Amino acid sequence: MLLECHNIQFRYPGSETLLFHDLHLKFDTPGFHALFGPSGVGKSSLAKIISGHLVPEGGVVRFNGKGRPLYGYNLERLPGWSSVGRHLDRVTPGHHRALKEKLVSAFDLEAIMDQHFSQLSLGQQNRINLLRYLVQDFDALIMDESLANVDEKTRGHILLTIKTIFPDVLFLYISHNVVEVATFCRDIQVLRGTHKSPRVVKVQGRDCRSGADVDRQLLQNTMLEIMNAA
Amino acid sequence: MLLRRIYQFLMIYLLGVLCLLVIKVAADLSDYVIPGIDALWLSVRDVGWRYVVDVLDTLRVAVIGQVLSIGMALFIGILGRQATWFGSFIKVAAYNVQAYPIVAIAPIIFILLGDGFVSRLLIAAMICYFPLLLSVVGIMSQPIPDVEHFYRQTGRMRWQLEVKIRSFENLSKLTTVIVGSATLAMAGTIVAEFIAASAGIGYSIRIALYQSDLAKILVALFMIGITLSIYQGILEWVGSAVKKVWAR
Repeated sequence: MLLECHNIQFRYPGSETLLFHDLHLKFDTPGFHALFGPSGVGKSSLAKIISGHLVPEGGVVRFNGKGRPLYGYNLERLPGWSSVGRHLDRVTPGHHRALKEKLVSAFDLEAIMDQHFSQLSLGQQNRINLLRYLVQDFDALIMDESLANVDEKTRGHILLTIKTIFPDVLFLYISHNVVEVATFCRDIQVLRGTHKSPRVVKVQGRDCRSGADVDRQLLQNTMLEIMNAA
Repeated sequence: MLLRRIYQFLMIYLLGVLCLLVIKVAADLSDYVIPGIDALWLSVRDVGWRYVVDVLDTLRVAVIGQVLSIGMALFIGILGRQATWFGSFIKVAAYNVQAYPIVAIAPIIFILLGDGFVSRLLIAAMICYFPLLLSVVGIMSQPIPDVEHFYRQTGRMRWQLEVKIRSFENLSKLTTVIVGSATLAMAGTIVAEFIAASAGIGYSIRIALYQSDLAKILVALFMIGITLSIYQGILEWVGSAVKKVWAR
């Protein structure tokens, strides 16, 4: 077991209803996994509990890695006083300089290094934000809609690049794109509405890797399974 | 920015004078109650230059008082930004003290310190300090989660970086607060001079009041307004220049 949420109970302050009641889920292996579900079921809340930003009323999060999982989300902004290139240089540890250059190229961001964050498109902003997390020392990263507003082709390329470069890291990908989740993720934990039981259903994704073809029939079956679970 | 402020002041001032003249004509009041244009012009020639010197003297005290207040408000605001007992104490104290009319304790300051430069400076600084402190504490204690999140996640957040992020994100707000506090500092200095000082435009207004010379008071008001407009325009320009340079 690499990451486990055990009997999590959580409600937001002022709310009478529990968002999570004895929620249990686990990820046994590193790789690219997903938290999927309709809006409002608590994907981001669960991500914040896992990363330690929210404290549950009951239950525990067990993580067999260094520190806490990192949590990045798509609304984050870089400070406006320097260019994105200078910012990246500052937040990249010395031993990850080469990795940074590799990712900048893979994410197709070389041309915007001299620009300020506010001058970028939403897709470019999200890619830069994700990139600065990837150059940190981490054992697990939660990507909460981290590739929103990025075109499908670039998104696929980025996900395959991440899977190739970080085979031993645990990724939890939060997305509303069922095709993407079914194609690229291994374990897909589908969170369901508070009135449904069980609250979480696990679906096996296709875990597509660079250079490998996806069986269209199997992919469709996975997508159907996810949609039925949700 | 600067020109707009001057235009706006001139328009309001001229409207005010026009209203007085309309009242004078409508009620058939003598020059002793409301002076005519010629009496006003005579006062400009008579005391104009002296009032320029007086208003600059008042502005000097107000600027020093404001700079001291800004420095103190930033220092205490940064210390009191956190959700600790000290932070809460600073917020509650600032909120309560700024609700009290500081000018009411001005006589005590004059009794203790006399009617010199220090008393004027102290009153000017006190009048603009507490509203400034309240605004600075409000700005500095408000997190910018979308920017700060990454630094907290990766253990890079330091108090200097936190202050830098919050200052940068609220630079327009801070500029507005500082520009607004210039009026308070000027008002504080004039009130101090009005009460007991022996220099500055407030002192000159007090003399004109004893002489019941509305023309001189109108000239003094013009000098105060135009000087304050230029000063506030310069502060706004500095604020936008700082933002431009910082974001380069």
